[in-house]
This record gives sequence, C-alpha cells and structure tokens, in this order.
Amino acid sequence: MSKTSGHVQVLTANRLGDGTVVFLNFDGDWVASLTGVVIARSPDEALGLEARGRFDAGRNLVVDPYLVDMREVKGALLPLRQRERVRLAGPSVLGDVPGYLAPAAPFAQADVEPGGQGIEPDRRGEPRQASGPARKEAA
Amino acid sequence: MYRYDEFDAEFVRQRVAQFRDQVQRRLRGELTEDEFKPLRLKNGVYLQLHAYMLRIAIPYGTLSARQLRKLAHLARTYDRGFGHFTTRQNLQFNWPKLSDIPDILDELAEVEMHAIQTSGNNVRNVTADHFAGATAEEVVDPRPYAEIIRQWSSLHPEFSFLPRKFKIGITASEHDRAAIQTHDIGLQLRRLADGGLGFAVWVGGGQGRTPYLAKKIRDQLPEADILSYIEAILRVYNLHGRRDNIHKARIKILINSIGADVFAAEVEAEWARIKDGVLKLPPAEIERIAGYFAAPAFAARPPPAGLRPADRSFDRWVTRNSHAHKQPGYAIVTITLKPIGGIPGDASAAQMEAIAELAERFSFAEVRVSHEQNLVLPHVRLGDLWAVYQELKRIGLAEANAGLVTDIIACPGLDYCALANARSIPIAQRISARLAPRQEQVGELKIKISGCINACGHHHVGAIGILGVEKRGEEHYQLLLGGSGAEDAALASITGPGFSPDGIVDAVETVVDTYLKLRTGPQEAFLAAYTRLGAQPFKEALYGRA
Repeated sequence: MSKTSGHVQVLTANRLGDGTVVFLNFDGDWVASLTGVVIARSPDEALGLEARGRFDAGRNLVVDPYLVDMREVKGALLPLRQRERVRLAGPSVLGDVPGYLAPAAPFAQADVEPGGQGIEPDRRGEPRQASGPARKEAA
Repeated sequence: MYRYDEFDAEFVRQRVAQFRDQVQRRLRGELTEDEFKPLRLKNGVYLQLHAYMLRIAIPYGTLSARQLRKLAHLARTYDRGFGHFTTRQNLQFNWPKLSDIPDILDELAEVEMHAIQTSGNNVRNVTADHFAGATAEEVVDPRPYAEIIRQWSSLHPEFSFLPRKFKIGITASEHDRAAIQTHDIGLQLRRLADGGLGFAVWVGGGQGRTPYLAKKIRDQLPEADILSYIEAILRVYNLHGRRDNIHKARIKILINSIGADVFAAEVEAEWARIKDGVLKLPPAEIERIAGYFAAPAFAARPPPAGLRPADRSFDRWVTRNSHAHKQPGYAIVTITLKPIGGIPGDASAAQMEAIAELAERFSFAEVRVSHEQNLVLPHVRLGDLWAVYQELKRIGLAEANAGLVTDIIACPGLDYCALANARSIPIAQRISARLAPRQEQVGELKIKISGCINACGHHHVGAIGILGVEKRGEEHYQLLLGGSGAEDAALASITGPGFSPDGIVDAVETVVDTYLKLRTGPQEAFLAAYTRLGAQPFKEALYGRA
C-alpha cells in the first residue's frame, strides 16, 4: 500500500454470473458501488482483504479479486489509476454507442468525482465524449 | 458462401452442448476459474474490464444477410443493442451474461456460426481480402482456400495447444487489403510459373510489443500442397516455439531468433516428409469447396442507371465508397462504420438489420466485414447505388470516407478491454471530428489506434499510428508515423515524446498540416510524402528544432 497520506485500498472483483464489477462492503456482500465499501488503511488490513478475496473466489462468488489503490478525499474515494476510474464508472463512450440499450442497474458513476474519468471536450468545440445519456439510435 | 454439411452441424451442436455443461458446472461451483478459463477462452469468452465479452467468428469476413440479422437479434436480446466489428473480421458483444452464452451459441449454430477458436493458443479465424469474390484484381476467389484451412485447423489435435495464438491471412490480389505481412502466416494466391494456381507464403509477421513484418519463405507453392506446407510450418513452430515466456512465444520471435533461412529449411525438411500424404488436396476437393463460393447470378447486361437528382454528397460517396467490380455493371460498396465523431466498428441492432435488408435487396444477400472495421456490400448493380445510398443515409452510415483520415481503426481500448492502458475510442472520435472538414483535401491517410502494446488497433502499420500507454496512472499517447499494412508494408516509427489525451489530437493535426504544406500536390499521398521527406520535418513541427 502506498505510504502517501490519504491513500487506501478497497477489494474489487467481477461477479461470476455476469461479470459485473463489484466491491466488498462491510456486510460482506459484493456490491456494484463504493457505498459502504471496506477500506484497508494498513498493510495488515490489506492482507486481510486479499485473503477474503481468495476465499470468496474459492466459493465461486467472484472472479479475479484484487486490491485497488484509492485516494480518500473528504470521505469520497477516487481510484488513483485511470484504469480503475474507467472500470468503476463504466465505458466513457456509452453516450455515443449506436442503439445502446442501458441495463436496469446503472453503473456506480455517482462514486466518481465529476470529470474524473471523462476526456474533457476539445477546446475547439468538438462533441463531448465523456459518458452521458444513451443516444437515440439513427434507425 | 459455404454451407454446413451434416458433420459441421453436428460438430458445432456438440461443442455448444459441451460448453453449456461446462458453464453450468462453473456456475454451480464444480469448476474453479483456473479450470474454467481455458475452456471459456476456447469458446471465445473473455472476462473484460466491466463484463464478459463474446467474440464470434466471421470466417474470412463473409456473412449472409440471415447471419447478420441473427447478430442483430442477439445484440438486442442478450446484449445492449449493439455489436463491435473487430480488426480480425470478428464481432464482439461486450455485455453478455455468462449464463446466457450457451443460448447465444445455440442461436448462432442455427445460422451456421460459432465462437470456436476465436481465442486461445490455436489457429484463429482465417481472415481474407474483404473484396474477395468481387474484385477484378484477384486471380481467383481466395475464400475456398480459407475455408479449407478453417476446416483443417478446427480442433486440430496437434495444434490445439500451440505456444501462442496463430493468425493466418489470405489474399489473391497484388493490392493487399488483408494485411498478410502482419500475420503469422500470410498467403498470396497467385498464378505460378507453370500456369497453375499456388501461393507465395510469408511467415512470422505480427504486431504486439515486438512487431515484425513477415518474411517470404516460398514463392511458388502449388495449391494442392497448401495444407501440408502450413502443417509443416506449424510443426516446426510447435516444436521450437518458446513456452516459458508469453512475450517470446509467437512464431515471429522464433523466426527472428533462428533466422528465416534456418526456419524455412526446417519447414522444407518436414514438408518433404509429409507433402505426398493425406493432406495433398485433390483437385476435386478444391473444386467442391469452390462450388460453395460460385459467383452469384449476375445480370449479363444490368439496366443502366436511371436519372437521379444532382447530388454532390452522393457523387462523393460513389467516388470514395464504391469500387470496381469484376462484373461489368456492378460495384463493390464499402459501408464505413465510421460516422464523423462516431465509434469505429460499432453498429446497432437496427443498423445491422437495415444492412441485412440492403444485402437481400441489392447484393445477393452477401455482406463482408473488413479488417478496417467496415462492412461491404460486394455485388451492387450500378443502377441501385442511389437506393443503397438513400437507405444508408437514413441509418446514419453514408459517410463518404472510405480510406480517408476519418476512416480510423481503433481497438476497444480502456473503455472495455482489461489489457488496455488508455482509451482509444474517444481519441478516434475527436480526431475524426477535428479533421472531418478537411478529409477530402487530405486524401488517403490511415490512422490506427491501439490502447496498449498488444496492438489490436494495428498502430504499427498506421500511416499515423497512436499507442496508448499508462504514465503515472494516467493516459498518455505515443505517436508513430510511416506504417503500412498493404503490399508496401512498413512498420511505423515513434516520433518522440508522447502526448496527453488533448495533446495527441493536436499532434495528429500538426502532422496533417505539415503534410499538406510539404506535399508536392494532392497526387502525393501521405505515405509517399513521408517516404520522400523523412521524419525530420514532422518532428520539427511537433517538437520544434532540436
């Protein structure tokens, strides 16, 4: 774990049945949001989380558990790596996918700082490419 | 096109039933992920960044309208309403549930499709010139040979656990639209010195972290010997290819380690041993398979195009997106899945259905998928172009940009892919929007974008290539210039320090501006100008004088 102040870790994986990105919460459940997520603030706590991940993977609840480095700012969690920000928020281009049918359960986008994962609009006025509402398909 | 016989149909049905059982055992906890992973990969199922992904084979890029309708149905029923056409002429669904995948495969089997060997260390989907069977440039249609190789390689017991994945590409034209020199084996079908048909055989091409162009090891291989020669190549590779290091396991590494001459000598020795055995292709068998690919019933004298309103957009579309056909009165039509600012290779279920309808009405129910992530209607009467164009306009796919600077290849990148370091799609979208107003002025210029070193977006062979990397946790992009995947194949070179997501869009525009300023005229394409000028003026424009 990073020694920098404010850096913590949470445990993530993909749900076995549908591959959904999930996080371990305080109730011991794997949920698709950072709300109530277990936070490791020390190497010992991180080791404990890793062991829990291996245990639940062995029980076939989840696949490929691993720790994600986060920055904790005023109670909010932000992944340090862009990869994890995209993984948490979902593809940044869904608003531009032709004919995109949104699922019933949305991504946990509220957990990401505004603008934290999207590429900002080009200053020359090109279309915004960050995620947004699904675009009506052309036909 | 090829139709399953009873053996094919039973083979695919059995495979789906086996995988259904494997999925159920996995969901019940009777298989661990370590046990299940190689099984799902053999059936094209990946676990990506946000969900499972199913990669469906489109053999040599040939689809029927019925098959395309089925893909649309699957997108709507089991996925999120769209599919992504890839640089290997496959289609990927990005959101299937694991529990639904056996049902998807059952439905695919109904239309003679599957996902077998679209992943794993085996021979992958054989790719081909997307104009095959329609272009006047080819000596013969290469797809029967691709189909023969597909049948031979499917579940080949000796080659189901190769050191690494293995890709074969085939063309029958001098103008290489299949990028054969970037494949593990590239085949060019040609007329031999004795007048018969045969192949030039290239081996050891590939992109990824260590890019190499393939080397020609045979110039005149008779068509009857194609399977035995490929088998000899794979045997030598299977024997000597490294299995201790995944980054050094591809055949390109082996060939560049021992030398193409040494490799070729070993292949020739093995081939001499097996060439007169069971793999010798009888002419009758080649003819039988070729029969599936017989030309459709073209009208000998199609009626002339009728009068239509003057329409400059249509004229531009015809100029850019239609291509000469071997049959007088017909054209090949490219439908670029690259609307300005859109996502390269994505098509909605409704768009797929509309294109299937167009194929049924105007192209003998045939569709092709190109490695440049576009679709093709291979046989359209000239008199029907206006009607095709009108319908493509209605569904938002009538952009006249085939081969232009907005016809960008981009891998799924970090938006979907678990391997990626940076996003590709938003960069493609922004470059497309930025350069669209000048795309006709710029002319042919191929931009190819990969979100990681694995190079699924073919950045090594882009006239302008972009490679996404991770730098201190953030996205960063390297710029490469001067590559080509065609018959003048060349690997692009990195220009210098990389760029931020904003900076890479500006950098591409700088390169384009420099080209426009320095070219001798519109007739000098970007690659020709780059070859003449070298990298220096572009580097100076990007980074200033050293």
